[in-house]
Amino acid sequence: MGRAYNTIAFDAAKCDGCGDCMRACARAKTDSEDIARSRIQILGGSSGFELALCRQCGDPRCVAVCPAGALGKDEQSGVIGWDASKCVDCLLCTLGCAYAGIALDEATGRVAKCDTCEGAPACVPACPHGALKHHTTARIYNEVGDWEDLFAPGLAGCQGCNTELLMRHTLRRVGPETVLATPPGCVPGMGSVGYNGMAGTKVPVFHPLLTNTAAMLAGVKRQFNRAGRKVTALAIAGDGGASDAGFQSLSGAAERGEQILFMVVDNEGYMNTGMQRSSATPFGAWTSTTPVGRESKGKTQDAKNLPLLMVNHRCAYVATASTAYMEDLYEKLDRAIVAAETGFAYLHVYSPCTTGWRFPTEKNMEVARKAVETNFVMLWEYTPAQGLHFSQSVDHPLPVTEYLKVMGRFRHLTEEQVQHIQAKVEENRAFVQQISQQSYAPREYVRLAGLGGDHDKGNAPRR
Amino acid sequence: MTAATLERADTESKFIVCEGNEAAALAVALARPDMVSVYPITPQSSLVEHVAKLVADGRLDADIVDAEGEHSVLSVLQGAALAGGRTYTATCGPGLAFMFEPYFRSPGMRLPIVMTIVTRDGITPQSVWGGHQDAMTVREVGWVQIYCESVQEVLDTTIMAFKIAEHHDVMLPVNICVDGNYLSYGSARVAVPEQADVDAFMGVKNVNWHAALDPERPMGVDPLTGGSGGKGPSMFVRYRKSQCQGMQNALRVITEVHEEYARRFGRSYAPLVEQYRMEDAEIALMTIGSMTGAAKDAVDEARQAGSKVGIVKVKTFSPFPLEVLVAALDKVQAIGVVDRSVAFRWNCGPLYQETLGALYRLGRHVPSTSFIGGLAGADLTVDHFLRVIRETEALRHGRLSSGPVWLNEND
Repeated sequence: MGRAYNTIAFDAAKCDGCGDCMRACARAKTDSEDIARSRIQILGGSSGFELALCRQCGDPRCVAVCPAGALGKDEQSGVIGWDASKCVDCLLCTLGCAYAGIALDEATGRVAKCDTCEGAPACVPACPHGALKHHTTARIYNEVGDWEDLFAPGLAGCQGCNTELLMRHTLRRVGPETVLATPPGCVPGMGSVGYNGMAGTKVPVFHPLLTNTAAMLAGVKRQFNRAGRKVTALAIAGDGGASDAGFQSLSGAAERGEQILFMVVDNEGYMNTGMQRSSATPFGAWTSTTPVGRESKGKTQDAKNLPLLMVNHRCAYVATASTAYMEDLYEKLDRAIVAAETGFAYLHVYSPCTTGWRFPTEKNMEVARKAVETNFVMLWEYTPAQGLHFSQSVDHPLPVTEYLKVMGRFRHLTEEQVQHIQAKVEENRAFVQQISQQSYAPREYVRLAGLGGDHDKGNAPRR
Repeated sequence: MTAATLERADTESKFIVCEGNEAAALAVALARPDMVSVYPITPQSSLVEHVAKLVADGRLDADIVDAEGEHSVLSVLQGAALAGGRTYTATCGPGLAFMFEPYFRSPGMRLPIVMTIVTRDGITPQSVWGGHQDAMTVREVGWVQIYCESVQEVLDTTIMAFKIAEHHDVMLPVNICVDGNYLSYGSARVAVPEQADVDAFMGVKNVNWHAALDPERPMGVDPLTGGSGGKGPSMFVRYRKSQCQGMQNALRVITEVHEEYARRFGRSYAPLVEQYRMEDAEIALMTIGSMTGAAKDAVDEARQAGSKVGIVKVKTFSPFPLEVLVAALDKVQAIGVVDRSVAFRWNCGPLYQETLGALYRLGRHVPSTSFIGGLAGADLTVDHFLRVIRETEALRHGRLSSGPVWLNEND
């Protein structure tokens, strides 16, 4: 299978050549303001920008051409390291690299290259436009293969649905010492509990009622605690069951601090039963109970913000996530698993519904990503000690129409309805941002904890 | 007054004076549940307060969950039972109504949860007082329902309920029905068994051998079944039929458990149907719950006046004790059935309605009347029962009533 490594990616379309990344690198690596000394170089002009940066190649030419053995690839991190004590300053490596990823630093007279700042590159958060991203999905690739897929093969989800992906990843990560509750909805509809005596899951699994998931899991978990056994109580529930009929038991369990990992797969409606409206359905959306006709056009109320309600319960952990941002989701899942050992952990994952939202099956990830890029969905996390912090930039959103136009459920929207949604997106963002800015934890603590909290600068450093 | 017949016991008890709700709580502690989930509601509240205090004082090693409503109360217990725990709660009236969704599901999942219903009349009209309307309304849901007559019987039956529920031939949830106000708050001298003796009586706990949520035995609990295709129809019938069989098995197990309890603790109760002065009775009163005490006094009085009247008291109402009831009513000429609730569809009391079905098995016509009294906390006195006896006597002479007799109509 080989091994995957994290990488810094560049989106030329978002770059305006401001040079902030180079200044950040020069400061971090040379303690100077001289961008000529930066290990990352943005080149070009009116016709666009290009990136000159070490790609940490799998088959590095620089290593091959070095006569002194001064360059070598680290198997663990994938970073190509330069050993100053062995280097003979021949500069052959600078000729060997096709990406201008290693170059002469004239101030020292020696070559210099990117070392990814030990996994937390200074250039990435410095970019004000999100043109640089540090992809840390390598960990998922490297680790996931070792974890058992605990769902049966052949779950019967709709074509293009990403909930199956989410379920499989989640249960792989949480592991076999788990009791899984999947209340009525798409998740058991796919066959997670099974049919006629056949189980769909390799861990103990059950249908709670739509209304009592958190309460039943609380009983399960407490009984295992009494028996001195460590078992994770995991719910994978829909938005309807969690925010409508099941909200009381959810709220009660959160208030009591039951040790539950409660994941809500939010497809913004009762999709399994035929795409009816839930309190999580957004304003203007067509559903089968908010149809489009002469007198009305879709839902006339805004969505209930369930994750924020869970923040108000001061749960041990609350986060929003998206399947289009798997590395972010994995990090949040890791924290939720830990938090659920001592308290209530709530993970709200937005899951576009190809069938109910009316978009082509291949566009699921695009829809999920557009939701975040327009701030229609905001990715953040909360703990009582560290407050609420964005884990994805909310500062340069695309207009919400870029999201709305991808799917059929918003096709009928009037100009006034679109304006309402755009205004609501901005109000939501301002509201959550206010909570974020008023968060209890001092910034320094957040940075040291490795939590994304620096919303003014886009992506914060991660480890 | 106690309905128990005292026998020589293998064990010793200590005596205290307490109300019915406290007696139930003491019994719960003796049965050692793992999980008790609670939510207050009148007239049940002092029961769970007593349980909470027993836990706080270290006299009961249970996890107590103050849930946010009765729906979650029962749901917590479902989860705990599936994970292997012995489980208990108590409720009544509106709480039972709110609990209905998981209440309906518990017997189907074959979960041996024990729940006291401190019975309360159904709202509306708004009322917080006793009556059997709550428990009677859910009589068709599949829980075992056992009614108590005295505070002592509340304590003894509550202990027995765990053993009945967890019996592997039963595996069904059990309601102990304790008359609101009259038993819940009525104080009496009560014998409390020793813990070690109750432990020996209870035996080994194994409540999730049939269906478990346990990573050591992974399984899909209650997967979707039924429908018209594949194994669905036969599998659904298998579940339903075995649930009905469990109810029928309960009749035997309730009897066996009562016999064993009498041997160990010296207090004997008719497990299904008690007959009082029925040997030569020509007419029978039928009663249920705490009203039976006044009914017995009335029968004693009527007997002195020459009336050949006896009482058939139903203790186990669900499963309905058809065979023993038919045998008890075999020779009588008229029956008056007293209910503390109504069956709206039949314009009579529920016990009366069920008895009509049993009378069909007698193979002969027996004149009968439904008497309804004691609703919403109203008292049922000796005078009320003397009237019941008079009107039931009159049935033998061809006086048939067109509807129920409302005993407290003019009180």
